[in-house]
Amino acid sequence: MSAAAHSVDDARGRTPREIDKAGYVLVAFFAIPFFLFNIMPVLFGFYVAFTRWSIVGSPKWEGLRNFTRAFNDQWVAVAFKNILLYGLIIVPCVTVLGLLFALFVNKRYPLSGLARTLFFAPTVVSATVIGLVWVWLLDTQFGLVNHYLSFFGIDNIPWLTSTRWSLVGVSIASVWWDLGLAFVLFLAALQDIPGEINDAAIVDGANRWQRFRYVILPHLRPVISMVVTLQLISTLRIFSQVYVMTNGGPASSSSSPIHYIYSMAIVRNLFGYASAIAILLFALILAITFAQRFLLKERV
Amino acid sequence: MPQWLERELEERRLNRLDLLIWPVGLAVATLWALPFVWMVSTSFKFPADVMTQDIEWLPSRVTFDNYIKVFEYPVVRWGINSLIQATLATFFCVLFGAMAGYALARMHFPGRNLLFVIFLASLMIPVEVSVIPLLLAFVKVGWASSYQALILPAIGNVFSVYIFRQFFLTFPAELEDAAKMDGAGPFNLFFRIALPLARAPAIAASVIIFTLNWNSFLWPLLVTFDESMKTLPVGVAAFTPVVGTRTQIEGYSVAMAAVTILSIPSLLLFCFLQRYFIQGISQGSIKQ
Repeated sequence: MSAAAHSVDDARGRTPREIDKAGYVLVAFFAIPFFLFNIMPVLFGFYVAFTRWSIVGSPKWEGLRNFTRAFNDQWVAVAFKNILLYGLIIVPCVTVLGLLFALFVNKRYPLSGLARTLFFAPTVVSATVIGLVWVWLLDTQFGLVNHYLSFFGIDNIPWLTSTRWSLVGVSIASVWWDLGLAFVLFLAALQDIPGEINDAAIVDGANRWQRFRYVILPHLRPVISMVVTLQLISTLRIFSQVYVMTNGGPASSSSSPIHYIYSMAIVRNLFGYASAIAILLFALILAITFAQRFLLKERV
Repeated sequence: MPQWLERELEERRLNRLDLLIWPVGLAVATLWALPFVWMVSTSFKFPADVMTQDIEWLPSRVTFDNYIKVFEYPVVRWGINSLIQATLATFFCVLFGAMAGYALARMHFPGRNLLFVIFLASLMIPVEVSVIPLLLAFVKVGWASSYQALILPAIGNVFSVYIFRQFFLTFPAELEDAAKMDGAGPFNLFFRIALPLARAPAIAASVIIFTLNWNSFLWPLLVTFDESMKTLPVGVAAFTPVVGTRTQIEGYSVAMAAVTILSIPSLLLFCFLQRYFIQGISQGSIKQ
């Protein structure tokens, strides 16, 4: 996103020239739907969050009541606690596995092109596919996962039907779904490393681990930071796979803020309250984004 | 180790450890694809062969009944809805994104940089913040459960602008100058000269945005109230045992047939245009 800074004036040092009025027309086609349907609703949402609003009848101004209510709502607390757990499971798994897979594909072994296709494929299918396939794989009695785990003497695990495991079950599916993006970003970064650096390290007698630790890893630091942030933000917004796999249950053990927002709005018709929770989530995401910026700047 | 193998390794600049890493990596890649194999395999099984302890990767008896059963639900209608939604939203998003990206990269007008900063900053807003108020607005206007509702909010995807702007920043000025000499106006310049040359970013943006739209879930789930306006992912989601009741009635074989149908368009698109997917995604995010 720092591209904005780079491009402030093309760095071409053009002499001032007349204004291209046609530019406004060309931009307008995109800008108008963008502002109407992507920006206005956010601003409107800040208003809705301060009202009691159901689909029928007119909205009623309520001040901060939706927010105080959210802070006292134990299910909001559960949902936010759950996304932290989701984050703790999904983000490290996606980052580490994505990096390992990228390192493997980058070696250009025979058939590594096929491996690249297979690693990325789950990312392009819909949450419905991911959710249903994994509900079936994680089925307690007949699921494939429990079947193969039983070879290791592990008893059937109620992946999606117990409060203890549901969050883990949904996380497994999410890692399978999300990994492709991290993988591709790592792969692109690895391919950007000039071959000579690695060759020089080999000549200097660096072993595989040393080359990874002292040549590749420092080069990847910005990408790792980006992948962690992107994945963390996308995990904070986890919804579709939760909806398809467990619908937040059992007993909200796998619910998430977006899932709670969904049920408040659609099931209970509390649109003002749902908007208030959405704003809390937005604040959390913004805080994380800025924290990452800040940390990255400190280090560079 | 036989000599030919040593020579082969030498030639590929690999050592003995690679001999271990290579098969393990390929095994993991195969494992990664197995859920898809299991999905397709289940979709061709008789219900009696599905809920059983015997694992059959290749079904011993094959049936197409599950696919026929899927079509007892309005999947054709959902598929058409999805196709209309994804195609139109992608078309407008890519076309308007190309226009905006071109203007932001090549034209000079006050407010240009501010606009671009706003576009980029909007990436920090999670869409989920806007869906509830957007839904209220669409209900108020009477457009809930309509194609407008499915398409319009998907047009303003900044990714499209970004990828075209990147492309046009490095566009050779000579081409533009030559056309200008011939008296071409700015719109002619864009539609006749610039756009036809922007094939690569256009394909990359199209496949990625089409896939996003085809798979989009939360918004279509919220805004479609009647069965006939659902999109394919939302309609098929009702085959899950927790939200819908269809799996309990039909079993997993029908559900797997339904998701196989649902995953075909995106997987096909990906298989044939993989290069554009991967380039587009890494360009779209890394160089930010």
